[in-house]
Amino acid sequence: MPLDTQSAIIEMQGISKRFGPVRALEEASLTIHRGRIHGLVGANGAGKSTIIKVLAGILRPDAGTIRIDGQEVTRLTPALVEKLGVHFIHQDRLLVPTATVAEAIFLRHEPRIGPFLNLRAMRRRSAELLKHYFDLDLPADALVQDLTTAQQKIVQITRALAQEAKVLVLDEPTAALVKREVDSLFRVLRRLRDDGISVIFISHYMQEIEEICDEVTVMRNGTDVGVVDPRQSGIDEIVAMMINRDMGEMYPARSVAIGAPVLEVQGLSRDGSFRNVSLTLRAGEIVGLTGLLGSGVKELVQCLFGLDRPDAGRVAIDGQEVALGSPVQAVGRRIALLPEDRRAHGVAMGLSIADNIALASMQRYAKGGLVSAAKEAAIVDGLIRDLSIKTPHRHNLVRNLSGGNQQKVAIAKWLSCQSRIYVLDEPTVAVDVGAKVEIYNLMNRLAAEGAAILLMSSELEELVGMCDRTLVIYRGELIDEFTRAEADTDSLLAAASGAARKTARETA
Amino acid sequence: MTMTIAAETAAKPARARGALRRQGTLVLRLGALAMFALIMAWFAFTTRGFVSPANIFNVIEQTAVMGVLSFGMAVVLIGGGTDVQTGGIDLSIAANTGLCAAVYATLLAGGSGDLAAAAAAIGTGIAVGLLNAFAVVRLGILPLLATLAVMNIVAGLELTVTENQVIGANSTVTQLIATGRFLGLSVLAWIFILFSALMTWAIHYSRIGLRLYAVGGHPEAARAAGINVGAYVAGTYAFSGFCAGFAAILLVARLSASTTATGQLLLAILAAALLGTVFSRRFVPTAGGTILSTLFIGFLANGFQLSNVSYYWVNGVQGVLILMVVAVTTFAKPQGK
Repeated sequence: MPLDTQSAIIEMQGISKRFGPVRALEEASLTIHRGRIHGLVGANGAGKSTIIKVLAGILRPDAGTIRIDGQEVTRLTPALVEKLGVHFIHQDRLLVPTATVAEAIFLRHEPRIGPFLNLRAMRRRSAELLKHYFDLDLPADALVQDLTTAQQKIVQITRALAQEAKVLVLDEPTAALVKREVDSLFRVLRRLRDDGISVIFISHYMQEIEEICDEVTVMRNGTDVGVVDPRQSGIDEIVAMMINRDMGEMYPARSVAIGAPVLEVQGLSRDGSFRNVSLTLRAGEIVGLTGLLGSGVKELVQCLFGLDRPDAGRVAIDGQEVALGSPVQAVGRRIALLPEDRRAHGVAMGLSIADNIALASMQRYAKGGLVSAAKEAAIVDGLIRDLSIKTPHRHNLVRNLSGGNQQKVAIAKWLSCQSRIYVLDEPTVAVDVGAKVEIYNLMNRLAAEGAAILLMSSELEELVGMCDRTLVIYRGELIDEFTRAEADTDSLLAAASGAARKTARETA
Repeated sequence: MTMTIAAETAAKPARARGALRRQGTLVLRLGALAMFALIMAWFAFTTRGFVSPANIFNVIEQTAVMGVLSFGMAVVLIGGGTDVQTGGIDLSIAANTGLCAAVYATLLAGGSGDLAAAAAAIGTGIAVGLLNAFAVVRLGILPLLATLAVMNIVAGLELTVTENQVIGANSTVTQLIATGRFLGLSVLAWIFILFSALMTWAIHYSRIGLRLYAVGGHPEAARAAGINVGAYVAGTYAFSGFCAGFAAILLVARLSASTTATGQLLLAILAAALLGTVFSRRFVPTAGGTILSTLFIGFLANGFQLSNVSYYWVNGVQGVLILMVVAVTTFAKPQGK
């Protein structure tokens, strides 16, 4: 019987979801056909993960209808979704590390004989499934923690297949895989598709989308902006659909004389994260750094701040080679890190504004071995005024500030240290637009005062608007550099997702 | 978080490390067995009466109480995970046994029926277990702290019940447990064997056991598989409370009284349950490991007694065992899960 690839297995229509004032989804629709591999793409914040969470029954939509297998479902729960045959392969592999392969596959669907587990059937059937779908001879008694990442991914998929999945939802399935493993995963997906199973494939990697998907839904600003056939449309068109082109006047103009090199990095490598990265940061310069999740960009920043040790390479500050073995040394070299997870690493939530600001530069506040309240008050109040941190008093707890003001406290901490090199990791994540502009102004002021800034961001508009140069990391290598004139969101995204390199395009 | 390139470059070392670890755990298991055998042999040759059948049966009967309690602790370790700081542990189990024994003995001494007294003992144990469960699952207190607090509450309750007196108790059931024999084995030995068999089924051959391992191994993954993690964890504390009640009945029957020193069993129970993890390649308690370790600790204490070594040393040795087991398993576990 020929497969009916026209009939829809999943129809989501007019889905809206708000979180307070933020509209995450606005009249979004998603239709998945039987026996097809369906790509879901969109920039950060476009609503991909929200619509997937709605489908998973984790979030309840404010409006919209969902039909699965022709049946309208009003109250989706994770258990119901699974019963209807929709299975989610999470990005972080949710398997019990101390379970065996057979146990991981059959957990909660264990075959039994009377009151006893049928351990033999579990082992036999998992071996059969792995052989049948993946042509893999994985011992059913191996522990999950001893498997490679790709094998764990396969065990996860096998678990879904053992429960006779009709739809597999793969969230960034290739993020931790190497090329060879990606190829074999794709072979499996095609085979599953030919068996009539539908696949929802969420990926940042445009080449993979083009290679594997039969159709692609593009999302932007919380809604679907089109369904295309990637083989006819090509990557460029999809990327163009993803990008929001109307950028406001968010990015204040600036003109700063760029000075001498402050931070020079030569051939920095860390096994398994990034290779041979060289970059220079000059006084007064704002340099952007971007890369997809898993590209090694985070690890690079960690190394620069001394949180991780590089395996090879040199770092020089003001022309002098330095060892950055620990954050203490980095702070001593007047390097400042604004971590992405503000709540966990950026500020101490339970301390006051004053304590947070003084934290990394206590010696400035000391008087005869004690912290001088008068000195603290003077310096801290100055910074609060300077950065217009909105608070009644310096002794208020940081916990009670808004996200943007918390971020300003984190920056004030480094200003108090008189830092000269600022490594900013997603500094505007989860702050409102007004605070964003304030942070941008602050960055410009720091640069004008001679600081060097490395801005790591996955918000491409921000990089285009703020940076003198933007560096792109792809799969562990610094593959492209864009000047302010060259940088636009399309080409940055294309470079970061490996779709096209600037250099390649220039020679073409 | 595993990174893109990480897989490429780290795949081989990871596999090599896995193989190394597998060999390491095998060495560890064999080493522990060899140590058991060596110590037993040493006692057999140096201590008069150690290998006499009377002594061996004596130890097995003593071990019945310990075995029930070790299984209670083992189940809590399985369901709560074996992380030393945040994992499952029930420090109140020994004190709970003391309270249950006090309740049981007081009721029997006061003329209550066997059934009512036994039900009250086990009910008390489960109630204390549920208190632990509430503190751990609902209030989210670290098991180490929650059960430590409950231990003190329970110890205080025991004192108010007994006024720190030994309470004599005797009934047909306690007589039967203490002196009864069946097919050449004492009733206590039979109870130990049957309970072990039941626990082996529950832990290794039932759905509950498999899911419990998943809950302890990676709660998030268990939840993603559709398992009610909170209920399972709460269940382990309730079960360990049940074990305390059951063990209390056996204890009172053996001694014909409740004693005031039951709380001291904690160290031995913990040593047995933790030592039991060494026999698993996953470093999680198993039924076999728990039985073996309980017997080992029973014979160890007995050997010390027969060699006229002060009882205080037994405590010291159990403490050292706990330290060794925790150190070795922590070291041998894969880093960062």
